[in-house]
Formats: sequence, C-alpha cells, structure tokens
Amino acid sequence: MRNTTGALALGAGMLLLLPLAGLDPFLLDVLTSGFLLASYVGSWDIVGGVAGQISLGHALFFGAATYSCALLTSLAGWPFAAAGGAALLLSTGAAAVVGTMSARLKGPFIALLTLALGELAHEVMIGQTFFSPRGAYSWGGEGGVPVALPWDAPSPWAAYYGALLFLFVSAWGMRRIALSREGLVWTAISGSELTARASGVDVARHKRRAFVAAGLFAGAAGVGFAAYVGRATTTDLSLELSFQAATFAAIGGRGTVVGPVLAALILHTVFRGAGVSPAARVLLYALALLLVLRFFPAGVAGALRQRIRARKMISGGAIR
Amino acid sequence: MHPFAQVILDGLFTGSTYALMAAGLALILGVVKVVNLSHGAFFSLGAYVAYVLSGKGVSNPAAAVLLACVIAFAFGVFLGKSFINPVRSHPFSVAVGSLGFAILFEQAAQMLWGPHPVSIGSGPPWGELSGVVVRRWGAVSLLASAGILGGLALFLSSRWGLPLKLISEEEEIAGSVGIDVEKIRYLTFGFASATAAAAGALLAPATSITPTMGRVPLILSLIVVIASGMENVLAIFLLAVGLGLLSNIGAYLLAPQWSYVSLLTVISLLLLLRPGGLSAADPGRDY
Repeated sequence: MRNTTGALALGAGMLLLLPLAGLDPFLLDVLTSGFLLASYVGSWDIVGGVAGQISLGHALFFGAATYSCALLTSLAGWPFAAAGGAALLLSTGAAAVVGTMSARLKGPFIALLTLALGELAHEVMIGQTFFSPRGAYSWGGEGGVPVALPWDAPSPWAAYYGALLFLFVSAWGMRRIALSREGLVWTAISGSELTARASGVDVARHKRRAFVAAGLFAGAAGVGFAAYVGRATTTDLSLELSFQAATFAAIGGRGTVVGPVLAALILHTVFRGAGVSPAARVLLYALALLLVLRFFPAGVAGALRQRIRARKMISGGAIR
Repeated sequence: MHPFAQVILDGLFTGSTYALMAAGLALILGVVKVVNLSHGAFFSLGAYVAYVLSGKGVSNPAAAVLLACVIAFAFGVFLGKSFINPVRSHPFSVAVGSLGFAILFEQAAQMLWGPHPVSIGSGPPWGELSGVVVRRWGAVSLLASAGILGGLALFLSSRWGLPLKLISEEEEIAGSVGIDVEKIRYLTFGFASATAAAAGALLAPATSITPTMGRVPLILSLIVVIASGMENVLAIFLLAVGLGLLSNIGAYLLAPQWSYVSLLTVISLLLLLRPGGLSAADPGRDY
C-alpha cells in the first residue's frame, strides 16, 4: 500500500507539471476529457465494484446531469451554477429511483433493468426536439442541446487544472466512501447478499444508498463535462458509455476505485491520443474487456496484487 | 381497414421470426444457464450476411439463412467454448462480457459497412388477398421459423433431447451419468446463436439494416423468456408473435423508434413485477 501511495503521488505530480512542460492543445484536451471520464468510471465502481451491483445503465446518471445543465441554461435561462445544482439533484434522484427499482433484483436482472432504463432515456432523447426561446433553432436529437456557459472561450489551462482538481477531489471522496463503514456494508453485500442479510443488514436500503452515492458522483462528472464541452449529446446517455464504465472498471480491478480511475485515464489517453476513431476505440475496449474477464477475472491490477502477495508469502513477508 | 390488416399480417410474420430467436435465447438460459446479451449481435450478423449476399447478386433467402447459420454457429461455439463456459459462474463476467461481444460486433459492423442504414430489395410479393399483400420475405420467414421451431420442439421431446433436459434440470446428475456437459453447453450456444442469425437473415428484407439493429429483438426475446419461461416452445411462439404484432402496430401508429421504447418499458415493468422470473439463470446460489 505504501508503494501505491508513492506511485500515485508521482503520477499526480507529473499530471500537474505536464501543461507547464508545453503540452500541445490536442493532448491537453485529451487529458482534460480523460480526467472527467475517469471520475465517471470511478463513480460506476461505487455501485458496480464496491457494492457489486452489475449496472449497465450508468450513463443515465451522467447524461441526466449534462442534459439538465443544457436544457436549464439554454432553454430556461438559468445561470450555470443553479443548473449544475439542479443537475446534481436530478441525477441523484434518478439514482435513488433506479436503486429502489433494482433493490429486489439480483445479479443479471439488475444488469437487464439498468440497461433497459439507460436505453430508454437514450431513445427518448434521440426522438425529442426542443425549440430555442430566441430564433428558430431546433435542438435535440443526435446533435444534442448546447449549454449556455458563463464564459466565452474557456482557457484550456483553466479547464485542465479544474478537471484535474475535480478528479483528485472526487476520487479521494469516492475512496473514502468505499473505505467507510457504509462502504464496508456494500462490500459485504457484494460478497454475499444472503450472508449480509443474515447478519442483519437491510440489503435493499444499502443497495439504494450505493446507487445514490454513485449517481451523485456520476452527476458531478456530468456537470463538469457539460461545463467543459458546452453541449449535451445523446452520446452522454448511450449504452457505449455505460459499457465503457463497466469495462474500465473490470480492467482496472472492480471495487478498488483507484484501479478503474487509472485504467480509464490511461486507456483513454493512449487510444485517443493516438488518434484512434471512437468506433475503433470502443472495439478495442471490448476486446480488452473480453481478454481481461477471461484471463484476469480480478482485473489487471488485481492480478498484479495477487502476484505481489504470493511473492511476499514465499519470501516470508520480509520485503515490503 | 386495408393498411391496418397489412400491418397485422407483417407483424405476424415478424413476430414468428422473433419467436425463433427467443427460442434460442431460452435454450441458452436453460442449458448454459446464463443471460446472454450477445444474442442481438448474431441477429445483426445474419442480416448483414443477407445484405452482402444480395449485393453479390444472390437473393435466395435459403442461401442467406444457411450461410448466416453456419457463420453464427462457428462464432457461437467459439464464444461459448472459450468465453462463456469458463466464466459462467460469474454473473458480472457473463453480463458484461456478452454485452462486450455484442458491442465488439456493432463497432466492427460500423467500420465494415458504415453506421448508416442499408437495405436490400424485398423481391416481388407472393400474392394478394383482397388488397393485403403477402410479401415473399414474410411467407418465407413464417414457414422457416415454424419449421425450425417445430423441429426443435420435436428434438427436445425425443430421446436425443434428453441430455439437454437433464442438464437444464440436474446438471450434476447429467455429469455423473457420463454426459459431456461442457460440450453440450457450447454446442447449444452455437445452435442458439445460429437461430438468431437465421432470424436476422430472414427479416433482413423487411427492416433497415444498421449495426445496432439487434438491440430491439434482443430486448423482445428477453421479455419473451422472462414472461414465458423456457419449457414451452408454443408459449414462446405465441408471446413472440404477440409482441411482434404489438411493436409493429406501435411503429405504424406512432413512429418506428417507439417500438423499441415500448419494448424497453415492458421489460422494465416486467422485471419490477416479476423479480423472481428467469429463475434458471440463478443456479441455486446467492450472488
């Protein structure tokens, strides 16, 4: 654990230093969106990894936040800060509803229900058209809805450091929650629902809480994304985005929060930085996922950890 | 009256083909005991096979169905043997992995054939009955699906189907009496994938072919399997035809996308009202 902390501090230092070292604007953009994506993936891990509920509709909470930012600022004329607050409320509320609905379900059925609810929101938003209050613009559909931002052209530096700070704070918060008493209860439910129930845990209530916490952080990532990109599109609600969350988490090691965050950040930066098209990127992620699930069921980080632990046991725990 | 009668007839044809696919999904649920989210990808695979063949001048539906079945069987055996069988006791790996396979196929199809809908000619109609056109694809689909489903029902009730029934009910006993359970599992997976591809190839002339076209029949098949269980082939058939009719009428009265939205609503409600449904996917343990 001590080594991990050191490595994380080194990574954080390098990320803080990179823009000063004259990174070109494209890579700056790749990393900024990577920070927001990584934070979203971390929020999936709260419900999907720590609490072990197979959610395949996590984009619903992310997209609910980006769409409410867009609709409230552009259509209703709210200031961005108020819209962001309302967006957080909405995505948390949506998570509470999904959590309540899936409280009685198990394993694959939660996957089906969350998938169906996410796709439902996606389809409704594809079919929905909005008319701008001034002028005759038509918004909605695949093109999405613009977000009215309080600034004209955001400085890429400010966006980079803002997103990085957001990632640090949210990842720290999610890690704290995962290690809290509540997080321990979620881990127990994930291990065996029956055992948790037998020990007197109100499983339905704690499952719902896990959904709410995950929805809150996913919504925060969505608000950040809306502020950065300035547009809510149907991609924000897509099954591909939900799938990516589960994929990065599986690759990074479910239930560790840090693993999924790092997997998302590294894979996104490498593939997008290399100019791979979105379709090819998702294809590569799916391929990587199948290989990881088949050969490293605990994720790459989990497999490494097991190897290190095994080596420690061989050498009698002498090395740390 | 006539336009509506046409919608009902086409819905009957579509629904009977969806029944074929749902039966495959039910077979996977019963024998392999997993909820397979890659089933829709095999449907799209079948449709694209028919599209490529018709581009090469082969418009015989039998050729498309056969080729689609063979390709899907090969992929299905591969997926079943080298992925689903080893991870089938991990619900997370099965759900996310089978979805991953479907998304892998969707992206590959998007890169090969483009993201925009393509279509193939549906050929001359077979006949007309007081203003209602009997389309060729429709008649072929109904006959082929009824034929394959009938064959499946016959196979399951014969002595050759006993190992499948035994695995579905008592898998430990099946292993102990010398049945190669793993082999039957991946062969079943391959066969079931072939039924989905056959359904896709049969319905290719009737729909616009897109990389994500398999999601609608996947949800429809899941509804059928949750609601009717997997014992009764006739119940699967009737339910699939009913849902096919419903989604066709919805698409006709509202807009094509609403058939997907209504199916998604139905499955969400169904899961809420019947949380214990699909009990076969829960192999007697706690997740």
